[in-house]
Amino acid sequence: MPIFPSPKTKTDDDFELIQAINAGQTDLFPELVFRYERKLYNFGMRMCRNVQDTEDMVQDTFINVFKYLKDFRYETKFRNWLYRVATSTCLKKKRKSKYAPERELSLDEFIPDENAELPVQVPGWATLPLDQLLNEELLSIIREGIAALPEKYRLVLVLRDMEGFSTAETAQVMGLTTENIKVRLHRARLFLREKLKTYYDHGA
Amino acid sequence: MTMVHDHNRKDCLAMFAKLSDYIDNELDDLTCKDIENHARACIPCKACMETFRQTICFCRSLTPNEIPVPTAFSNHLKSLIQKLSGQKRDL
Ligand SMILES: [Zn+2]
Repeated sequence: MPIFPSPKTKTDDDFELIQAINAGQTDLFPELVFRYERKLYNFGMRMCRNVQDTEDMVQDTFINVFKYLKDFRYETKFRNWLYRVATSTCLKKKRKSKYAPERELSLDEFIPDENAELPVQVPGWATLPLDQLLNEELLSIIREGIAALPEKYRLVLVLRDMEGFSTAETAQVMGLTTENIKVRLHRARLFLREKLKTYYDHGA
Repeated sequence: MTMVHDHNRKDCLAMFAKLSDYIDNELDDLTCKDIENHARACIPCKACMETFRQTICFCRSLTPNEIPVPTAFSNHLKSLIQKLSGQKRDL
């Protein structure tokens, strides 16, 4: 299986801009920054969870992109490559800080308890359309749930379910196998489902 | 009132493990059919699947780029990049 699927590269919206920059028009680099600064900033806020680390991450990412863009070989979309640089910048930053080792999530901890009272119907919150449910309170519950995920799970969930990367692209960005991405994503989503269940079970 | 859960728990657990693959369309037709049949017959699993699906919908509904880049930081980036571009041209 090719690690980087090539057909998608042809539809890369950044292709021409990068070619021009690499051909010597470095004055176009700010255009590339302009295209991605807001995306990266928001990605950073989800990953680093504070302004200072986010700004450091965004700055370091663009410096690295500026340095290594000439080595970019269009084997993948520029966006995937950019997020790969951003992700590793983020993770390196984390390693330097003195956090406790991150918790692993296991499938078992999310399996519904066999002895608990079983639902007799699908809960209302799972059947109503989104626009009837989404309000500021729910949004903050979702955001807090995502923020509470251990980093390696949060990263996969953010890339897959928020940034819209495919499983294969997320595997590229993180340098992991697709199988590994699927395992982490499933556990991250189950973790979040528990948070939402708790919220609704205790009278939202 | 608690419904009697008379289905094979092994099937429930198998389905639980495959929910993401099911929702992401990464399973073969036969496995999908099995899951759908199971969910029709097993309300707890149906509830689990629908709350799981809704959880993912919630995530996808969050606007990914809601926070604007602070102006001061954006200006800082601009001048940093200009400096870098200038150095490169001088090489
Ligand atoms: Zn079941």
